[in-house]
Amino acid sequence: MYSIEMKNVSKEFKVLNRHEGLKGSLKDLFSRDYKIIRAVDNINMNIEQGEIVGYLGPNGAGKSTTIKMMTGVLEPTSGEILVGGNVPYKNRTKNAQEIGVVFGQRSQLWWALPLIESFKILKDIYGVSDEDYNNMLTLYQSLVDIEPLLHKPVRQMSLGQRTLSDILAAFLHNPKIVFLDEPTIGLDVSMKAKIRTLIHALNKEKNTTVILTTHDMGDVDALCQRIVIIDKGKMLYDNDTMHLKNFFGSYRTLKIRIDGNLKQQTEKIKFALPDFSISADEEWISILIDEEKAKVMEVLNQLQSSYEIRDMQLEEISTEDVIKKIYEEGVE
Amino acid sequence: MKIKKFLTLTRAGIIESLQFRLGTVVIIIGNILYLIVVYFLWKAIYSSAGTDIVNGMTFSDTLIYLVLATALFNFMEMYIVWEIGRNIQSGKIVLDLIKPMKYRQYMFWSYSGSFITNFFFTLLPTFIVVAIVTHGAIYFGINLLLFIISVIIAVSINYSIDFIVGTICLYTESIWGINIMKQVIVMLLSGVTVPIAFFPEPLKSIVYHLPFQSIYNAPLSVLLDGNPQLNTVLTTIGTQLFWCVTMIALSKLFWKVSIRKITVNGG
Repeated sequence: MYSIEMKNVSKEFKVLNRHEGLKGSLKDLFSRDYKIIRAVDNINMNIEQGEIVGYLGPNGAGKSTTIKMMTGVLEPTSGEILVGGNVPYKNRTKNAQEIGVVFGQRSQLWWALPLIESFKILKDIYGVSDEDYNNMLTLYQSLVDIEPLLHKPVRQMSLGQRTLSDILAAFLHNPKIVFLDEPTIGLDVSMKAKIRTLIHALNKEKNTTVILTTHDMGDVDALCQRIVIIDKGKMLYDNDTMHLKNFFGSYRTLKIRIDGNLKQQTEKIKFALPDFSISADEEWISILIDEEKAKVMEVLNQLQSSYEIRDMQLEEISTEDVIKKIYEEGVE
Repeated sequence: MKIKKFLTLTRAGIIESLQFRLGTVVIIIGNILYLIVVYFLWKAIYSSAGTDIVNGMTFSDTLIYLVLATALFNFMEMYIVWEIGRNIQSGKIVLDLIKPMKYRQYMFWSYSGSFITNFFFTLLPTFIVVAIVTHGAIYFGINLLLFIISVIIAVSINYSIDFIVGTICLYTESIWGINIMKQVIVMLLSGVTVPIAFFPEPLKSIVYHLPFQSIYNAPLSVLLDGNPQLNTVLTTIGTQLFWCVTMIALSKLFWKVSIRKITVNGG
């Protein structure tokens, strides 16, 4: 049985066509002029237990709508969804017992109370046994330093601490599936890294399925083996992160720094390596290498024989570029 | 096990409301000011009437009724409509909907803590003060027990009405007007602001056929009746029970139909 199964799922919203200005607004009061917006359009996917799936797409692509359907908040217009064997919107309370959710912009914690009180409330609401609860807290303790957070009221926490706490709260009842909707939004680099490590560890430890929506490619690179990309409600891509990289990423960029007049040198190199696209900025000369035509090492050797290379870098094509490319060119 | 789920929310509510001590003080001051206004208003009404008894109530009868009505109002008012409306507008309702509990129950129990704190901070003190100051306007007998039963039913009716009005916010996505309208209707027709004895005849009989009087008028009349007749009590509490069951059913049904329409912000 799959952890999540979606078959031909679509969601339509009926939206009033609004008119401009005072006159238009008055007209809208009596208008029956609706338009149908297809927020999610015929999505199919099967997700195995324990997978971390990156769910990507630009703003308004339909990511949150999909998540809301999986959590049972929204009912799909057509198609079938099974989450852990349940139809979410029909058994919302039963489904809720099996899932955990973090929305990056809002908190499910009790604002005025210390974190430990929120944990206790959630423990009772989800009916977690004392033993499981204590084991979970011990696990948390081993992963992050939560002791100073436990007795701090949530409203006094920094955004990073709050997000961290929200993630811990979502995993507290040991759900089979956790939805993380932009968990790293607005956080600094070190907090992002901390949160990624935490998600990764919890996934490994409890074999929890994680559905992660994000705009941060760093999250995807650090966590996801598989990515699903949607845009305008339609699914563009569903496969391994590696596969996508191979498909687009047989290109690598070799950057070198050498002495002397950069412009002259660049011209010389261009002459020596006519097959590659070469560009230069203030410091670096970049050579885009198609690895199906030539090995990076060979190019480097060739360059080293004629120039003294001060410094070098090798850059992968980032997932961000890949997605940009999918939007521009599509993928088979 | 099941009841623990709910009581933990009550407990959280109590702790939460204790965090805002200053809020309680402000509410008490506000009430005292309100009661001063009430005192002078009704004093003026009685002196212009020229008789000691108006519509079968003396000045002190009226005042005792209104003071207790105000205390009861502060005890029962949950501001649930604001909360549901705000949660719908901000989209926070999603987080409440994914709790493993029915939304109607979740909201009620989340607010139940305030009943406990309000009881000890406003209702009980007011009750004691009124009992001492008036020397025996409140009878201590079976009516106290009936009053408690009546208040519990009233809380349920009040919550159901609030929940229905809150559900309307799913459609309108605005709360202010609806809430003000609800508050005016409930406060007038339930007898919090003006005792129902003062209503003109046709309105009085209409009001007795509406659910609102079961919220404040019913428990207060049970409390202030020193010589309860079985018949009167059965009619009052029976009517309350009828509205309680009806409103629970209505609010559940309305929610069930409406939740399918929900379109929470953001997509």
